[in-house]
Amino acid sequence: MLIANRGEIALRVIRACREMGMSTVAVYSDADRGALHVLHADEAYRLGPAPAAESYLRGDLILEVARRAGADAVHPGYGFLSENADFAEACAAVGVIFIGPPASAMRVLGSKTRARQAADAAEMPRVPGSVRGLADVAEAERVAAGIGYPVMLKAAAGGGGKGMRAVTKPEDLAGAFSAASSEAERSFGSGEVYLEKLIEQPRHIEIQLMADEHGNCVYLGERECSVQRRHQKVIEEAPSAVVGEDLRRRMGEAAVRLALSAGYVNAGTVEFLVDAEENFYFLEMNTRLQVEHPVTELVTGLDLVHLQLRVAMGEELPILQEDVRLRGHAIECRIYAEDPENNFFPSPGLITRLVQPGGPGIREDCAVFAGWRVPLDYDPMLSKLVAFAPTREMAIDRMLRALGEYVIGGIKTNLGLFRRILMDEDFRAARIDTGYLERLLASGRTEARDVAPEEIVAVAAALFAASAGGESVLAGDAGEESRWAAAGRREGLRL
Amino acid sequence: MGRGGAAGGFAAVTVWLEIGGKKHRVQVPSGVGAGVTECVVDGRAMHVDVRVLEPGVMSLVVEGRQYRCVLDGDGVVIDGHRYGFEVEDPRSLRGRRGGGAGAEGPRPVKAPMPGRVVRLLVEVGDEVAEGQGVVVIEAMKMQNELKASKGGRVGKIGVSVGDTVGAGDVLVVVE
Repeated sequence: MLIANRGEIALRVIRACREMGMSTVAVYSDADRGALHVLHADEAYRLGPAPAAESYLRGDLILEVARRAGADAVHPGYGFLSENADFAEACAAVGVIFIGPPASAMRVLGSKTRARQAADAAEMPRVPGSVRGLADVAEAERVAAGIGYPVMLKAAAGGGGKGMRAVTKPEDLAGAFSAASSEAERSFGSGEVYLEKLIEQPRHIEIQLMADEHGNCVYLGERECSVQRRHQKVIEEAPSAVVGEDLRRRMGEAAVRLALSAGYVNAGTVEFLVDAEENFYFLEMNTRLQVEHPVTELVTGLDLVHLQLRVAMGEELPILQEDVRLRGHAIECRIYAEDPENNFFPSPGLITRLVQPGGPGIREDCAVFAGWRVPLDYDPMLSKLVAFAPTREMAIDRMLRALGEYVIGGIKTNLGLFRRILMDEDFRAARIDTGYLERLLASGRTEARDVAPEEIVAVAAALFAASAGGESVLAGDAGEESRWAAAGRREGLRL
Repeated sequence: MGRGGAAGGFAAVTVWLEIGGKKHRVQVPSGVGAGVTECVVDGRAMHVDVRVLEPGVMSLVVEGRQYRCVLDGDGVVIDGHRYGFEVEDPRSLRGRRGGGAGAEGPRPVKAPMPGRVVRLLVEVGDEVAEGQGVVVIEAMKMQNELKASKGGRVGKIGVSVGDTVGAGDVLVVVE
C-alpha cells in the first residue's frame, strides 16, 4: 500500500495496513524526511521539494513510486489528491487500486453544482438556489432576487470555506461575486460560483457512508460539526445532541439514495445543514475519508480504514444497516499550530516539548513529536484529540481532563481555545450552530477553572529563571545530587 | 537576580518577575533540585517542596497542593494553562541584547518594555562605568533604572524626559 499523504492521516492509514498485514510505502517531501509517517513505513521515497505542488500533489511522481515499489494500491488520505478524479483514473490506468470511489462517481459528486443536480434527482432536500455555476453578476442578481436575501455565494470546486461569501443586501452582491470568484480561481483553478439561500443559524451535520462494489451501502450515523471558525471545523462530535432516531434515519436514507444513484463505492460523507425546525438540506458530498472519522469509529465500534481497504479489495461490506448501533459519545478537538491570541495566525516551528494525555477513553491521532519542526508548507493541524465516554457530558469532562494534561511547548497552539469552548454554558447545553464559535470569540466570555494561584506561578517562574540564568542548576542531575546530599545530612543527624 | 541571604540553608537568589502585568519579587534558593525549601513571594514566605523531574519540568507541592510545572519558552504551563512571565533583571537583559555588538564598539541601552522616560542620569560625553545607571523609565507604575552594560563614553542620547518609548527602542548609546 502506498500512502499518498503526510501527517496524522498517513500514519493512521499505515497503522491500519500494519494491522491487516500489508506492507506500506510512504512518500515525502524535503520538509518531511524525518516525519513520523516516514518513520513508521516499511519503505519511503522522496517526491520533491516542500511545496505541495511539487510533491504531494504530483500524481505522476506518486505513480512512478508505486511502480518502483511494486505497490498494488494507493490510499490518498484527505486533501491533496484524495478528490482528484484524474488521479483516480490514472491509478486505474496503470492497474493500481485507488482507495476511494470510482472516478465517475467523484466527477458527479465532487463538483458542488453537479452534486446538487444529482441531489435533486435523488429527491434530497437542498438549500434553494442555483444548481449551475453563475454566468455573471446579472444572473446572480436574478437568482438572489428569486430566493430572497440573505444568500451565500460558493465556489463550485470549493472546500474549507474558500470562495464563500455571505451577502445580506442586493448592493453588496456584485462585490462579493467577484471576490468569491477570484478567490475560487486562485484556490481551486476554477472561478465557477453558485448561489444559495443562507439558512440562518444552521447546524452542520453530516452522515458517514460506506458502500461496497456489490450495491450495498450503509450509513454509520451522523457527526455534528457546527463548531467552526471561518467555515473550518474545530470540534466534531458523534452523535449530534439534536438528532433523534427518526431524523437520523431520514438523513441516512437520503444520503444512501444519493450515493447509490451515482454508483458510489467506499467511504464518503454527505453534509447537511439542519435548521431549528429539524429541516435538513443537502450541502455537499465529500468523496473521501474525513478528518473527523475517528468520532464515528468510536461510537460505531468500526474501523473505517479497515473497511475502506476491504471494500477496495472487492469484499462485501461485513455489516448490514441493522447491525449499525451507536453507543456512547465521542468528541474530537483539532489541535492546530496557531495563535488564538493573535487572530489564529499559523505558528509553525520547533516543538520543544510534548506531554500527551492518556488514560481511559482518550484517543489521539497525532504525527508530531518533541524535536519535530512543524513545516510552514502544509496545513497546521498537529493532532486530533478524541474523548469517548458513555454520555456527552462525560465526554466533555473527559476531554477537559485530557486537555489539562496536554503540554505542547515551543509553538503556539489552540489548546486553550478548547478549554474555553468545553466550559462554555451554551456548548455544554448543545446550543450550537455554525455561527456559535465566532460569537463566543467575539463575546470574550471565558470560564476560569483550574487557574493556579499567582504565587505558585511566581515561584515556578523564579525557579526556572534562576536555573536558566546560570545562578543555579535546576537540572535533573543537580536535583539528584542535592537529594543525595540531603539524605546524607539526614543520615548524619541520625548518627 | 541578585544574591541575597540564605533561605533554607541554600544561597538565595532574588528574581524580579512580571506575570500578567503584575510585578513580583521572588526569593528562591539556588541549587535545589529536590527538597523542601523556603521561597519568599512579595515578602510572604512559603514552604515549597520542589522536585525537578527533568530540565524544564518540575513538581511543586505547597500545603499539600501539587502543581506540575512545565517551562515553555517565556512561560510556565500549569494544569493546561500557560502563564507568560518576564524576568526583569539587569544581567539577563544584557544577555538578551548581547548578540550584536561585541565587547568593543558602541553598546546601546534599549528599553526592555514600553514605558515613559522619567529621568536621564547621564549627558553626552560623560564617562560611565559598567553597571552604572544611565536612564530611568517607568512602565506599569514601576520605575526601572537601566544600566550601561559596559564602561565607556556616552555617545548619543536618543530620548528626552517625558518621551514614550517602545520595547527595543535605543535610549542611550555607550561607546
